[in-house]
Amino acid sequence: MRKIEAIIRPSRFDAVKDALTAIGIDGMTVSEVRGHGRQKGHTEAFRGREYEVELLPKIKLEVVLDDNQFERAIDAIQEAAYTGKIGDGKIFYYNVDGALRIRNREVDAAAL
Amino acid sequence: MAATKQQGQGFERTPKGKRRMRFLRRRDSLSFGEKLSRLATRLREKEWQRYGATLFAGKIAGVGVTLLIMAAVGSLFFAKVYAADTVMKAADVVNPVNTAWTLIAAFLVFGMQVGFTMLEAGFCRSRETVNVLMECIVDTCLCGLLFYAIGFAFMFSHGNGFIGYHWFFLQNTPETYESTGVAFLAVWIFQFAFADTCSTITSGAMIGRTGFVGDLLYSAGVSGFIYPIIGHWAWGPDGFLATMGSAGFFLPKLGQSFHDFAGSTVVHTIGGFIALAGSIVLGPRLGRKFKRDGGAPMLPHDLTIAASGGLILWFGWYGFNPGSTLSAMDFAGIGRVSANTTLAACAAGLTAMMYAWFSTKKWDIGFTVNGFLAGLVAITCPCYWVSPTGSILLGGVAGVVVCAGVELLEWLRIDDPIGAVPVHGMCGIWGTLSLGLFACGKYGATGPTGPDNSAPLAGLFYHGGWTLLKAQCIGSFIVTTCTFAVGLALMYVVHLTGTLRVSAEGELYGLDLHEHGISAYPEYVISSLAAPHGTPKDLTVQPMAESAVQSISAMSFAKE
Repeated sequence: MRKIEAIIRPSRFDAVKDALTAIGIDGMTVSEVRGHGRQKGHTEAFRGREYEVELLPKIKLEVVLDDNQFERAIDAIQEAAYTGKIGDGKIFYYNVDGALRIRNREVDAAAL
Repeated sequence: MAATKQQGQGFERTPKGKRRMRFLRRRDSLSFGEKLSRLATRLREKEWQRYGATLFAGKIAGVGVTLLIMAAVGSLFFAKVYAADTVMKAADVVNPVNTAWTLIAAFLVFGMQVGFTMLEAGFCRSRETVNVLMECIVDTCLCGLLFYAIGFAFMFSHGNGFIGYHWFFLQNTPETYESTGVAFLAVWIFQFAFADTCSTITSGAMIGRTGFVGDLLYSAGVSGFIYPIIGHWAWGPDGFLATMGSAGFFLPKLGQSFHDFAGSTVVHTIGGFIALAGSIVLGPRLGRKFKRDGGAPMLPHDLTIAASGGLILWFGWYGFNPGSTLSAMDFAGIGRVSANTTLAACAAGLTAMMYAWFSTKKWDIGFTVNGFLAGLVAITCPCYWVSPTGSILLGGVAGVVVCAGVELLEWLRIDDPIGAVPVHGMCGIWGTLSLGLFACGKYGATGPTGPDNSAPLAGLFYHGGWTLLKAQCIGSFIVTTCTFAVGLALMYVVHLTGTLRVSAEGELYGLDLHEHGISAYPEYVISSLAAPHGTPKDLTVQPMAESAVQSISAMSFAKE
């Protein structure tokens, strides 16, 4: 089992979600987050002065899936989140030790 | 003890002292004759003469000042009354009262801007909220100046049936407007508030994707030209729809003119159909999927603001409709109009709510708010001439019309984020036509000293026949089609300048940050720590924040 954690542009979220649904991945956890990588923020303006806001709004998408779906999921996210400009985000992935469904104590692949 | 003794002694002494005083005074005082002789001797002495003169001058000065104050205060606070000097004319009372009423109504109608701003801000997505706020405010500013320069002249001055051409920049104006007896500038501000309403309605269907410069351009077109010129046809002193049906004018054989009491057609249909033209030319927001493509409207971001804004609009409507009498002397009329306005809104809110319940089995806030607004739009035209029962019926129909209108736009793949087209455009038409059905045959025209019911309007349901309905259909059809055609032309022209729609990048990023540089709800921590450009880096480090962090971490260690 693997876990994918993708930090993407808010404007690409719908496309990524649709792409994952299309390859049969139903479960995901999504949060609105703020952060920056090399991109370093944007400028806001208030009462005629400009402000440097370093942290940008992003979407963090977490998916836990079976090993056989992993490659396809990574590709789907990369393609859907891609615009080619700085700030497209990153994908992190980890091995997962186990999973348990709270309702009926199913474990691992059955719990996904 | 010593004190009491002293007091006791003092107490005993007093009568003695008094007696001595009296004795002394008696010895000192002179008889009247003696005083006179002393005065005679003193008058001959130079020093006493000077003393007397000073004393006398002081008294005179004092009396003079007192009289002066009395005169000044008297003229400030008390009117001089001359018996049977001037005869009070009726107009001296009637005109100020009517002007005050018109101004109160104008202020209420202006308050509708708050309602529109809140309604639109609530129904949009959070990333375009600042844009909505700015559009509503700047529309108002722009409309005020344009209505001063050309708008009022085009709409309400004498000219021909199509356009007025006097009073540009409010020059050479009379003291009161036409036969209303209301102060000219009071009528101007009342009508400015109406024009502003119309231009704000337009922006409602176009939020979320319109560039700010494009918004300025089309707003100038709407409030400077389209609304005043088409409005002149129905409301101008010689507009061809206002004079329709009389000998020598448009359609003399019809024998009935077009009626629009407070502007279902003039304000709402015009605003609504320019909005329709705008949203067609703009196209839907990026990512908007329609019902028949398996999608649904994009979700609003703040329903508290939207619902409160709707209710503020309802409140403002009490200036919009009753104020359109321009006459407080027609007191029965303004009472009836207020009641009718309320009843139509109530009925429409409920029918729209039931419509939504039958389709989704939920009690829907969006449809209910747009429902009562639809009822208000519909009653705006017929409010003077219908009965309370008629108001409930035609309002109830409006609640269904608006829901059906939303479905129709969805099917046509037209993206109208707040429902301006169904509410204002379609229910404006319904309200205008409903006068031809529900006019109850009792009420004629309002006037500065009272109603004139000599020629009452009667609709189809009140044995009035088809004439009024025909007149309403003709007027509504002409205004709607012309507005839509001119609106499309205006929007295409603005579109050609490339400013009407923002770039796809800006739209996805959010209009607020793209056009205005700030979001409506800046993140508390993240944005508040941002330092303005040009601030030296070491100033951006806030010692307070650091010490707070340290004390918090110290506390958490202590807990562990």
